[in-house]
Amino acid sequence: MKYSCEHYSECLKLIQRVLDQEVTQGEKSAFFEKKENCIQCQEGYELEHALKIAVKNIGRSLCPDQLFQRIRANFFLLLILISILIPLFC
Amino acid sequence: MEIAIKEKNIPLTDAKTVFEKEFMPHLDALYNFALKLTADEDDAQDLVQDTCLKAYRFANSFEPGTYAKAWLFRILKNNFINDYRKKSRGPSKIEFQWIEQSISGEEESAEPAYFADLQAETVNDMLGDEISAAIQSLPVDFRMIIILCDLEEFSYEEMAKILDIPIGTVRSRLHRSRAVLKVKLAGYAKKRGYN
Repeated sequence: MKYSCEHYSECLKLIQRVLDQEVTQGEKSAFFEKKENCIQCQEGYELEHALKIAVKNIGRSLCPDQLFQRIRANFFLLLILISILIPLFC
Repeated sequence: MEIAIKEKNIPLTDAKTVFEKEFMPHLDALYNFALKLTADEDDAQDLVQDTCLKAYRFANSFEPGTYAKAWLFRILKNNFINDYRKKSRGPSKIEFQWIEQSISGEEESAEPAYFADLQAETVNDMLGDEISAAIQSLPVDFRMIIILCDLEEFSYEEMAKILDIPIGTVRSRLHRSRAVLKVKLAGYAKKRGYN
């Protein structure tokens, strides 16, 4: 079991790709195997995982209802205008 | 890389279906993204409205059944960049530089050595407001990519299309963004006396 990783900056990039699900199954398995023997990679993985979940949980703002209605109204007004204008010019 | 688009009228029944089925379900996500970028509710609403209008105008470049969310986010991003340039709200020189780099697709050649003294337990203990504030304090292109990846869960390929940058740049920018975010969170944690 090692406590520091000589290529941690590269491992950190791989950790992020694993958590972003941007690796192949082979790469993922190889990483988890390596992680078992490296404390620094384990701690790095836990931190990146915690960070990803923290960002995910910051909450979303919902589109205000009046904006939703305004966009819908503008869109249908546009459609109506087009349906009136096209026959005039075609 | 600009996609060549033609402004055409699409059949009204198709337009209504596309609008209701493909665009409207993503309004919440679009508004949330706009708000995170602008940090102002009125600006976010204007941005989303402009995005929807543009989406309709260029609906012919969208193929129904493909991923509308990524397409809409790309339009919103472009609108935001264009507005950001026009409005003289005194963006800091550094922030404007980030915008210019993100438009041109340039990246710094050497990665900065950010090392944050931060533990997973500390992040777990922090409040959502503190995480939110740290994200809002990031340069805008870092903020954008973290939101697209971790909040909206776009893939690297989708982010590359939204941001109009190579996938390699997506990876490196995400890596740097997260490094800066960790430094900021470590700073917050220290000020607030988290262990």
